[in-house]
Amino acid sequence: MAEEPFFVGWSPELAKPTRRFLLTAGAGLAVGVGAVGLGLGAAAPHPGPGLWDQGKKVAVTGTIYPGPYPHLLTEDLGDGLRTVLLVGAGKDRVTVRPALTFTGAAVTGTLIERGEHAMMAVDGVYPDPAPGRVLPGPEKDLGDAVMTGEILDAKCWFGAMRPGHGKTHKACAALCATGGLPLAFCETGRCSDGKAALLLLNERGQAFGREILPLVADPVMVRGRIFEVAGLRQVRMKLSDIVRL
Amino acid sequence: MAAGYSIVGWNGFKRVYDGMLALGLSLFVLAHFGAGLLSAPAGQHPSEIQLLIRATGAAAFSLLTIILCIGPLARLSPRVLPVLYNRRHLGVACFFTALVHAGLVVLWYHGFSEMNAIISLLTSNPRYASFGGFPFESLGVLALLILFVMAATSHDFWNHVLGPRLWKWIHMSVYAAYGLLVAHVMLGAVQGETGLAQAALAGGSALLVTGLHVVAGRLEWARDRTTDLPPEGEDWLDAGPAEAIPNGRAVILVPPAGERIAVFREGAKIYAVANACRHQGGPLGEGRILDGCIVCPWHGFQYRPEDGCSPPPFTEKIPTYRTRVTGGRVFVEPVPQPPGTPMAPSMAGEAG
Ligand code: HEM
Ligand code: FES
Repeated sequence: MAEEPFFVGWSPELAKPTRRFLLTAGAGLAVGVGAVGLGLGAAAPHPGPGLWDQGKKVAVTGTIYPGPYPHLLTEDLGDGLRTVLLVGAGKDRVTVRPALTFTGAAVTGTLIERGEHAMMAVDGVYPDPAPGRVLPGPEKDLGDAVMTGEILDAKCWFGAMRPGHGKTHKACAALCATGGLPLAFCETGRCSDGKAALLLLNERGQAFGREILPLVADPVMVRGRIFEVAGLRQVRMKLSDIVRL
Repeated sequence: MAAGYSIVGWNGFKRVYDGMLALGLSLFVLAHFGAGLLSAPAGQHPSEIQLLIRATGAAAFSLLTIILCIGPLARLSPRVLPVLYNRRHLGVACFFTALVHAGLVVLWYHGFSEMNAIISLLTSNPRYASFGGFPFESLGVLALLILFVMAATSHDFWNHVLGPRLWKWIHMSVYAAYGLLVAHVMLGAVQGETGLAQAALAGGSALLVTGLHVVAGRLEWARDRTTDLPPEGEDWLDAGPAEAIPNGRAVILVPPAGERIAVFREGAKIYAVANACRHQGGPLGEGRILDGCIVCPWHGFQYRPEDGCSPPPFTEKIPTYRTRVTGGRVFVEPVPQPPGTPMAPSMAGEAG
């Protein structure tokens, strides 16, 4: 029997058959590693069309309303009357001085857009009489609905984080919710959609408080009533009508 | 070995080894990142940071899987031993890759807020009592801590300071870390919409690692069983005919109690020493006698067969055993002498 080569790590010698084996195994491993990397990478979720171009500063005029979440009603963005939710630069709400609400104002910042939904990370708010007081128009009642899906923070979901839903994003969503960012509801399988946003509100049409935190980003079933106000749909429900699945 | 330490004792082999490691890691991360970027419809790809978080997490996990396969593979084929030789570099690379992963997670998912990012990391998902909803991040934190302690104590300096037992014990916790990481992926990424690929990664890897350990363990067990027990009334172990031990090599005995014993033959001289290497417990009995010294097959520590001492300037010592040759058969007294005890060889007259 031919003597098997014996490897001694600190010796500069590497027997020919061992060297050949290692090179072959190394090349095989490289191909395998590349293939696994490609496969896993290609399985990445497609978060849909949400986008936040932080390099593009814009100024939008309209009227700011503080509730249920601070938002700007505007006709600047095309498609008639639009609701633009207003948020801070990070995972925090924006506070607008009362003197600048319910009257003409200009808001500067960057737009976060997903399909027909718009949000602005606000740099500054200035008085601007030009747009006058933009009114939300009548509220449309679209009836009751029972849905399964997920409660998520609208900022990440609109495009600040792609994807911005699901369990891996739960901790971040909870942080955003704690920071007072608008919460939304998306139906299962439609979270990558450009249309499916529903602002999540309590039965009186106001924002939930901290009591909603344990339910954020978990699969839930909700029973609520859908409304449309100034182009943005909302779903209103009692806390007790949200059931974790 | 323990005679002056440097961070890495470089040689040509290690350079090639580390080059391939760096190449493999970059290839994996690039392929993962690139595929994630390009497979989505134009303008709809995931955030670059999130792609990097996933790519580095998967790279660290896969590297750990490979690391855990090397041990059993080297038991199955000695040709894998050169990969084992430098396993420490793989472990340290795994830790740093995982650190990038964790750092990006903390910055991205827990930053941009007034809340302290570390507090947010541990409290923003409070469902510790739930299984499916469990905050998988905390499992990653624990695993990263284990990887850190291992990487920090991986150098031979720490092996020497802590002693081989404690050192080994610390480094066995890699299995705990791996278990935590399988759960980290299963309770995290797998719960997402595209969880199938991650489930295949974590599940397949766990199966591979377990399977290889079972196969190698069974082989070891079968080998151990073939050792002859002492004949009735005789407390010396029968190591078989002297000429059955290949020259410059050993047979391994498993005494009814105590540690394994390696019985070497060098020409006509028979020596018995502990089978476990003082370094990381490598199987000396699978090593060779080269230039008059037993060489460990794992990292090349050397011991003189006649007294179990490493040649100067090194200071490692292993236990030796009494031997005798009767009727051409080798017998070993299964009582370890204190490490470094000189022991005259038995002569196997007829062996050559
Ligand atoms: C402080 C420690 C850690 C934290 C906070 C953490 C956090 C996370 C988070 C949030 C995700 C989901 C990422 C996403 O889908 O966007 C994730 C995924 C992952 N993590 Fe960790 N992790 C930690 C440590 C580790 C370690 C030590 C490893 C491996 C050595 C690891 C391996 C993975 C893998 C393989 C994934 C799945 C990636 C994929 O989606 O394909 N993690 N981790
Ligand atoms: S275990 Fe490392 S040299 Fe023996």
